[in-house]
Formats: sequence, C-alpha cells, structure tokens
Amino acid sequence: MTDARIELPQGTLDLLILKTVALERQHGWAISERIQQISRDVLHVQQGSLYPALHRLERRGWLKASWRTSQNNRRAKYYELTRAGRKQLEAQAGAWRRLSFAIGQVLDTV
Amino acid sequence: MKTDLRYRLRALFRRKAVEAELDDELRFHLDQQAQKYMDSGLSREEAGRRASLALGGLDQTKEECRQARGISAWETTAQDLRYGIRSMRRSPVFTVAAILTLGLGTGAVSTVFTLANTLFFRKLPVHRPDELVCVQATRRHSQRRGWVSYPDFVYFRDQAQTLKGLAAHYSTAPLFVTANQQSQEINGAVVSANFFPLLGVQPGLGRFFRADEDLVPDRDRVAVLSHEFWRDWFGASPHALGATLRINGADFTVIGVAPPTFRGVTIQPDEIYIPLMMARTGFRWCHDALASGCTFLDLIGRLQHGRDLAEARAEVGTLASNAWAKVPEDENTGATVLPARGVSHPDLTGSAERRFVTMLSGVAGLLLLICCANLAGLLIARNSARLREFAIRAALGASGARLIRQVVTESLLLALYGGSLGVFFSLAMTAALNALFYSRDVEGHPLYFDFTPAPGMILAVLAVSALCGLLLGLVPASKSIRPASPGANGRLGRWLVGAQAAMAVALVAIAALLTAGARAQIAGTNFEASHVALMRLRPRLVQYPPERAAKFLRAALSRLEALPGVESASMVGNGAVLIGGGAPVSLSRWTDSRAIECGYIEVAPRYFETLRTPVLAGREFDGHDTVESPPVALVNESLARRFWPGGQAVGAVLVVKGRPHQVVGLVKDVPLQTRGEPTRPYVYVPFWQSPAQVDARLCIRVKGDPAATLPLLAREVNRVDPDVPIAETMTLPLQMAGADDVKEVRITGAFVTYAGALAVFLSALGIYAALAFSVSRRTREIGIRMAVGAGSGEVRAMVVREGMSVILLGTAAGFGLAAAGTRLVRHLLYGTGAADGLWYASAALLVAGAGLLACWFPARRATRVEPIVALREQ
Repeated sequence: MTDARIELPQGTLDLLILKTVALERQHGWAISERIQQISRDVLHVQQGSLYPALHRLERRGWLKASWRTSQNNRRAKYYELTRAGRKQLEAQAGAWRRLSFAIGQVLDTV
Repeated sequence: MKTDLRYRLRALFRRKAVEAELDDELRFHLDQQAQKYMDSGLSREEAGRRASLALGGLDQTKEECRQARGISAWETTAQDLRYGIRSMRRSPVFTVAAILTLGLGTGAVSTVFTLANTLFFRKLPVHRPDELVCVQATRRHSQRRGWVSYPDFVYFRDQAQTLKGLAAHYSTAPLFVTANQQSQEINGAVVSANFFPLLGVQPGLGRFFRADEDLVPDRDRVAVLSHEFWRDWFGASPHALGATLRINGADFTVIGVAPPTFRGVTIQPDEIYIPLMMARTGFRWCHDALASGCTFLDLIGRLQHGRDLAEARAEVGTLASNAWAKVPEDENTGATVLPARGVSHPDLTGSAERRFVTMLSGVAGLLLLICCANLAGLLIARNSARLREFAIRAALGASGARLIRQVVTESLLLALYGGSLGVFFSLAMTAALNALFYSRDVEGHPLYFDFTPAPGMILAVLAVSALCGLLLGLVPASKSIRPASPGANGRLGRWLVGAQAAMAVALVAIAALLTAGARAQIAGTNFEASHVALMRLRPRLVQYPPERAAKFLRAALSRLEALPGVESASMVGNGAVLIGGGAPVSLSRWTDSRAIECGYIEVAPRYFETLRTPVLAGREFDGHDTVESPPVALVNESLARRFWPGGQAVGAVLVVKGRPHQVVGLVKDVPLQTRGEPTRPYVYVPFWQSPAQVDARLCIRVKGDPAATLPLLAREVNRVDPDVPIAETMTLPLQMAGADDVKEVRITGAFVTYAGALAVFLSALGIYAALAFSVSRRTREIGIRMAVGAGSGEVRAMVVREGMSVILLGTAAGFGLAAAGTRLVRHLLYGTGAADGLWYASAALLVAGAGLLACWFPARRATRVEPIVALREQ
C-alpha cells in the first residue's frame, strides 16, 4: 500500500458510489474495486465505510437494492440508481465540478 | 420520503430478515476479497485474515450499517429495555433495594404534596371553580378574617359590579336534628337562596331553595339534605322528599338532596342546608341574626365574565367603607377578595398550617434526598462492578454515548417501577392521614379532609421519580464509562453513606422528641387526664333561657355526682375544659390599655379536684360563690408571678373583664404550651357568678374506664331532661390528642418517625452495598492476606472497621444535625429539653447498631474467601 493514496474528503464517497452504479447495477465489493481501479489506486476507499454509505443511500431512495446471482453463481446484493438518485448525482457532480474548478482557479492564480 | 419510511419500517419490523441480509452481504464481500487475495498467491487463511482486516472488523461494520439504517433510536431502546430487565433479574437484591428506596421516597413526597394541595390549592368540585372568590372582612387588630352581617351582605351583593353573583353562607351551624326516631347534633349550613345556583350545583333529588323562600324571616321552613345525610337517615329513599325534620326545636320540610359530589364549601361537610331567612334557627349568638350588628356570614362570589381578582378586590375595597360607615360599633375595617381554593376555614388558612405543611415538605424533601443518595450509592457500586461488562461492550463497537444510553435506560426503568410503588405508598399514607384528620375538633365539629391524591399528583410522582432516575443514571454512567479511578467511586459512595447516617440520627432523634412530647402533653402535667370523661350540654340549641338552663345544669351535675362510679364532677362555661378562652386582666390602679390578655375559664366547684390540679394556697370555688356574693377568682402561678412578683396573690384584687375580683386561691400552672412559649397566665372565675350561662362542658372523674362509662353518664343526664342535646361525649385524653396543636405534633411525629425508620434502613442498606462492593473488589487482597497468615478475626475486623468508621463519623455529625433540627421543631416540642441528650444518644446508638449489623454480612463473606480460589480468579 503506497502513501500516495488519498483518504476521501468528507461527503465525496456518496458521489463516487452514485457515479459507479450509474452505468450498471453493481454489488458492494464490485463498487469498491471499481472506485479503486478507475481512480488508478489514488483514492483509498475504506471498505468498512462503504457499506454504511450504501445503506444510507438506499434509505434515502437514491439507490435501489435487489438480490441477484453474481458471475460466480452466488447470491449478492446489487445496487442500482433510482430516478431520484440520478438527479442527485447530477446535482452533486455539478457542485463538485464547480468547487474543484474554483479551487483550481485560486491555486493557479495566486 | 416514502422509501425512507418503508425502509425504516422494514428494518424495524423485519429485523431478523434485515440482519440476515446484512450478514449475507458482508460475507459475500469478504469471500470476494479473500478470493482476490488467493488469486494473488496467498494462503486461504492469510487471505481471509487480510480481507477481514481490509473491511475493518465485521461487527463494527455491522453496527455502523445498523446506525445508517436509521432505526437505531427505536431499536436500541427496545434492546436496552430488554437488556435492562435481564440485568435487573440477575441482581434481585439491588433491584428490590433500589425500587423500594425510590418508592418510599416518592411516596412520602407525594403524600405531602397531596396534603398541601388539599389545604391550600384544591378547587371546589363545582361549575367553573376558577371564577369563584371569597369576600372577607378584614379587621384592624387581628390576622383572622372577619365575618359580615346580613345587611352588609345585601349591600355587597347589590353593589359589586365585578361580581356576577354573591352568596352568603354560615357553614358551621350546629343543628340538633330529630327525625325517624333518632336525634343528633350535626353540622349544617345556613345559605342564601342563590348559593346553589351561583355554584352551579344541580340537585341530586328534588329541588334547591326558591328565591321566594328566602324573603321573609322565619317563614319558610324548608331544608336540603346532603347526600350522606339522606343515605344515613333516610336510606337514600325518594320518600325523604316532603318528610319532616325537627331542627333546633322547629319543624322543617325536606325539599331536596344535594348531589354526592358536593359537601359544602368549607372544610366541614354540611349535612343539612336551610335558607338564610331561617338564620335565627341556625345561629344563636345574636338576639336577631339578621340585624346589622350580627356578623356571622361568609361570602362566596363568582367573578363577572372578563373581570379578574385584582379588579374585584379594588372594587370591594371601596364598597366596604360605605357599607360599614352605617354600622355603629363595628370591628370590620375593610374587605378583601381571595380566590376560593383549598379549604376556606378561618382556622386553617392561618400561618400554622403553612408552617406545618412547609415542615412536612422539608422532611419529605430530606427523605427524597436520602433516597437519591442511597440510590446513587447503589448504582455507583453496581456499575463499578460492571466495568468489565462495559469494557467488553465498548470493544464490540458500542460507543460511549450508547453505553450511557443503556445505563440511563436502566435507571429510568428502575425509576418507573419505583414511582409506581410510590403511588401505592402514597395512597396508603393518604388513607392514614384521612384517618388521623377525620375526627372532631375541640369545638366538636367534625373535621373532614379528603386527602385523595389527584390524578395529576400520580403523574407528578412518576415524573419526579423519572427525573431522579435520569439524574442518578447519568452521574454513575459517565463515571463508569471513564473509570479514571475506581477508588474515587468507592470514596463517593462512602461519603454518601456517612451523610445518610447523619441524617438518620437527626431524624430518629427528632421523631423520638416529638413522640415523647406528644405523649407527655396528652398525659398532662399538673393534671391527670386519665379517668376523666367529657360531655357538652347544649340547652341553647333548644332555646332554653338562662334560668331554665341553670336549673337543668345543677340537677344534671348533682345526679352525676351521686352515681356510684363517679368520684367528682364539674363544668366549664366557656371554651373547652383546660383551655377556656381569653380575657383582659389588670390591676385596679392600671389604666385599661395596660391590661394583659390572659387565659380565662369559668369553672364550677370541684373543677380542680376533678382534674387533680393542686391548689397551692387559698380555696377552690364552692356553692357560696353565686351571683349574689362578691366576685372571686383563682389564679395560676404564672399570673401571680406576673402581677405580684414576690408578693402575696391570695387576698389581692384583680380586674377581670373590667370587674374587680378578689383572689381567693392559687393553683399550679397547667402547661399546655410548647417549648418555644412561656406558660400562659390563667385566671379562673366561678361558673355561677356569670348570670348568662346556658351551655356547659362537663368533666367527670370516674373510677373505671371513662369511655365505657360515658353512655351511662349520658343516660343519667337524659333522665333529668331528655330534650337537651348532648354533644362531644369523649374522654379528656381524646380531647388532648384531638386538639389542633397536639394533632400537628402527632402527624409531624408520625411522619418524622416514618422518615427516621426509612433513613436508618437506607443507611444500613447503603453501608451494606458499599462494603459488599469493597469486599468483592478486594477479594484478591484478602486472599493474599489470609495466605500470609491473617486470621479470619483480623479480616473481619478490617472490614467492620472500614464500615464503622464511616458510620460513626456520620453519627457524630448527626448530633449536630439533630440539635439544629430540634430548633426547627421547637414550636412543636412539649416539656423541658433536659432529656434531649438522652434521645440523641439513643438515636445514635440505634443507627450505629443498624450499621454494625449491615457491616456484619460483608465481613463474614470476607472471612470465607478461599485464598487459592481468590488468587486464581483474576
């Protein structure tokens, strides 16, 4: 485990989860693997905090869960985005982009 | 929102399924992760270990997921309750002790609340009681309120704009009633016709007074019965309507019955109501009860809609001077308006009752404090013993807040049980209070308080105990979560026990002083109460003129004295036997303003012989002291000392009520006062030198049991004249015990005794808990001591020393507390303070003894520690 990995800022885990399941329904382990992969191992998702986040999002109605058979023929809990979840994703992603753009601006100019 | 609710509900009601799913989900994750590690070449065990590590602990993750589900508030409470009940079952001694402690404490507090509520705050059970007010006259020289005359009532009723209505009542009318072949003096009320409509009371049967039945004096002889009277005298029969009652010599027709909820507006339940225009039948102290000089009425009014008490008070205040300007010799100087609450009785709204209730509240508060201290001690000891359990739960992922929640839930559960028990205790205690209060006052009127806890009171008890539980739960809970130094907990617990022991000593000592004082007061000093029977003969109720009454009284007294079982008999013309009334007394050379208010009793011959009060000099009154002979008087030592310090009282002349009397004898003081007051000077004058005597209270010394002889004595009086009402047949000790001040002492004494017994029990329980806790923590140390040769005697001594040092310190402090408490109840104590120290010492001994007993069991357990087992245990 390298030190280059970054702990996720507060509140961004929800955004990453929503984005990850936006393409297709995924189970928990796959979500965690996916985030790791796509962020090229820079972002470090604490696996222990992934599941409470998933449950929270499900409770809010942004994710919908269903039990399905996985590739290796086992029952797994799959999460997919709901309509409300998609709206939330768009709103959060927009906010995040504006924030990072603004911070980037400040960092570059000063 | 909808999904949120569905999600929570599912989590709540299908907990098992949800838990199983959570388990499956996380297990799937772990397997996948482990598979990944195995694919990279790790062994199966190593892969599993790594996977679990990466997740960060299965149980912690689960707990976090549960919290994310958001139902934890419900679920954890249910869990805590289940857990609490289980842990209560596991330590029954602790549980029973805690519940009992709380129950006894809250029970006492709610009893006192009920008492205060009944006396001062309760509203009348009538229509919109908030609007009702009492209009009272105020007097210049007296704290007591004054009464008003009939013309005053009419004036106020017609003039007051702030009042919707005003009714007059005289609620302590002694009515001698004959009906259905029985006769008895009962408490009646003379009321204006608008009395019932103003209160909004509906008749239970028949009707109330019509306005035209209250217009012409002495014309309409109609009566309304109380529900109780109707039930007792007429068997609740509807035929009572139209029946005839003979009341104080006149025939009345029954027109209606009051509902069972209504017992009148004062402390004494009214059994019969008659119209105000029949006042001459009910009130016998004025020649014309309806004249302006005859002040005997109480006023109760209802505020005009939208007006408040202050407005009414302002208006009635201005009306008063107009009304009383017309009255020549009035005592009333003003008028005021008070809310009609509690018991509006002239003798009960005074400061004595406030002081009484305040003091009881103090004792109850102290008791609750002791209970709390005890409970805190118990909880500290118990929670310290549960440190290991808390540590395990913390390791399993429970947060500090979660643990505090659990401890608080457990405390609240205890509090709830304790509070429920408290409600039962207070029901029992108020029943006892009812029994104590339901008696006759010295005037012979039945006193009645309905000390039934209001439903609000029961809720209050539960709330108080819940609050106690919350406070008690939080302190030890925060302590047990961060057990910085377990020793500190032990020290706090021991301080609490010491304080309890001190309070126990003080309470027991004061209880003993009160009980002994009340007993001494009833037994009497310088008189002998035993074997004295009392009765009141009331020819005035049947309108006997003085000459006829005198003839009757002389005949009755001589008949009684001739009875074989009677040693001597005498009588008193004013007030009760031993107590009498008051009169201004002076010396002939003094101006009137120097006159001293002294005790004053009109007594017949053989009075002092009958009561066994020593006559120190001179003589008692005899048959030669009559209206024709020169006025004479006897004085007590206190009066003699005051008027002739160092001089000779017998033979001197004393001015009593403006008339010179020659002192013919000196008697010993009969102290009735409490420790705080000086002995009252008393002057005695002959019964037969007052020409207007009609009623009399007899005192008769008999050879046997006075209570058993009373029916015989009453029969003998009836033989002289069967028409004269006999009332207040009782014994002298009973009169003494029933007197207001003695009753106050007895109730306070009973209450403090209860508190004291409870305090002793609780401090013993406290020391037991603290020591048992200490022994269980020191098992290892004790084991080592015994292994290196300490005998069981030494170990026992060590434990007992630890407990008794606390108890003895507390007991010593208790002496100071007891002395301070004694000063607080000085006004209730009777007799000298010579024996106080003895009572203090006895109280201290009792508490120390109880403490020793409480030390004994943990000490014995300590000696039974097996060194090998103790060392292996930890």
